[in-house]
Amino acid sequence: MITVKNLTKYYGGKIGVENVSFHIEKGEIVGMLGPNGAGKSTIMRMLASHMLPTSGEITINGVDILSAPENTKAVVGYLPEIPPLYMDMSVQRYLEFLSQIRRIPRDKRVPHIAQAMEFANISDVRHRLIRNLSKGYRQRVGIAQALIGRPEVLIFDEPTVGLDPKQIAEVRSLIEKLRKDHTILLSSHILSEIRMTCERVLIINRGRLLADDTFSRLSDDKTPRYCVHLKCDIETARKALMSIPGVLRAEPAEKPDIPGCAKVFITIASDDALDRLSAELALRKIPLYELKRDAKTLEEVFLSIISQPEVNDAPVAEGA
Amino acid sequence: MFYIIKKEIETYFTTPFGFIFMGIFLILSGLTFTISNLLGGNGDLLGMFGLLANISFMTFPILTMRQYSEERKAGTEHLLISSRLSLTDIVLGKYIAALAVFLLTLAATGVYAVIIMIYGAPNIGGLLASYLGFFLFGGAMIAVCGFIASFAENQVTAAIASFGLLFLLVMLSSFSKSVEVPVLKEALSALAISERYDVFVRGVFEPGPVSYYICYAAVFVFLTVMNLKRRRLL
Repeated sequence: MITVKNLTKYYGGKIGVENVSFHIEKGEIVGMLGPNGAGKSTIMRMLASHMLPTSGEITINGVDILSAPENTKAVVGYLPEIPPLYMDMSVQRYLEFLSQIRRIPRDKRVPHIAQAMEFANISDVRHRLIRNLSKGYRQRVGIAQALIGRPEVLIFDEPTVGLDPKQIAEVRSLIEKLRKDHTILLSSHILSEIRMTCERVLIINRGRLLADDTFSRLSDDKTPRYCVHLKCDIETARKALMSIPGVLRAEPAEKPDIPGCAKVFITIASDDALDRLSAELALRKIPLYELKRDAKTLEEVFLSIISQPEVNDAPVAEGA
Repeated sequence: MFYIIKKEIETYFTTPFGFIFMGIFLILSGLTFTISNLLGGNGDLLGMFGLLANISFMTFPILTMRQYSEERKAGTEHLLISSRLSLTDIVLGKYIAALAVFLLTLAATGVYAVIIMIYGAPNIGGLLASYLGFFLFGGAMIAVCGFIASFAENQVTAAIASFGLLFLLVMLSSFSKSVEVPVLKEALSALAISERYDVFVRGVFEPGPVSYYICYAAVFVFLTVMNLKRRRLL
């Protein structure tokens, strides 16, 4: 559905986005995650034909958006970070105007607008001026705007930023409803936000794509870590654990969760080490109170990815 | 393009800008009518338009100051660019809408023509020529202001910069007369927006000045389209 190849954008000599490539299948819902200023919005603007790339290729439905912008414009619905609204128009007039400039056939406009308003749950405010609406309603008008023209691809840039928890839940449920018939790309700098709605995540930092994977695979650790509680002093515990073949590291923790025990984190090469662990400890007469997997949280994975050292530390443009 | 024109005209009257422009323009034309006709005792409107041309340039930036900066601020510029409209549709739509508001305002000054026709015996041909001339003159000025506005990020900058450029272009007319350097004199004279307007003030209709003002406007509308294209590449 969407293929991006070596997408690069420079702002007056500064790198905004550099060599980003990814592919999104039809019907997928993908999250774009990265700190503020990482280049997420720049990528989204280029996908929505709001900005032209310096180099690279974007194809949507197999059509290059640079060679045939007219065809792709109708396929993509875009909600920027700040919803693009005419404050002096009523909701109804605003959506009418959009249906006109997006060339929706005259006879289909009225049912089309009614459907978008009903979907975004804004029918009750249709005659009110947009300037008089609350932020949550404005965001919903923004979503309705993206739906005008029935695009197959929806791009939402930080759709829940600045909303209160109730409004966030409302916007999230709207996105949930949309996933059935759309390919969705949404961005956020909040991990939990992306995790709740998306299956796959693209992690962007300093204009580069650092990871492109599903959440389950990202948090899948190749060298698993375990937390062990042993009834002995901390040094004995550490030495005993290090003597077991297959244990790569044993790091004592400061505060045990079980009183009177030593808490140690071990990193093992393979599950064989676990097979031997209880037998080896029994030989040394050290009682094992607890053994549990200490999986890396997604936050830790995300932070470790974005704090990877830069090969070429080029400055990143503001507002990206 | 029709939808842009309609939306722009609506915006002129849902915001104060249309009313402010009309108000100031009509005050200025009322003043010049009073000075030239009511107090001066002239039997035609040629003097009034001559005087109005020299002071009305300060009103045109009001029409264009929010054209692009407001869209930029609200992010709706992208809405237009990513729609099925071409950049030419957008620029021309905004230009025609501003022209329509100007035409409406100019039509309101028809009251003066009616007064003159009741109490005097004006040359109808001359009257029409001066109306057409002033409309073309205003059209060229609106195109210049629109071009300047397409650079601006906020309304105040757009208004001040447009006012400054128009002032310079009006002043060029007297400046070019005193310059004796061959090529420079012609170049300045071509840019001097009010120089060819004098023909209309004399009540004469000539194709030369008519096409001059149409081309003047067309060049600036074209430059505005080019500027939007450039901004999209940034």
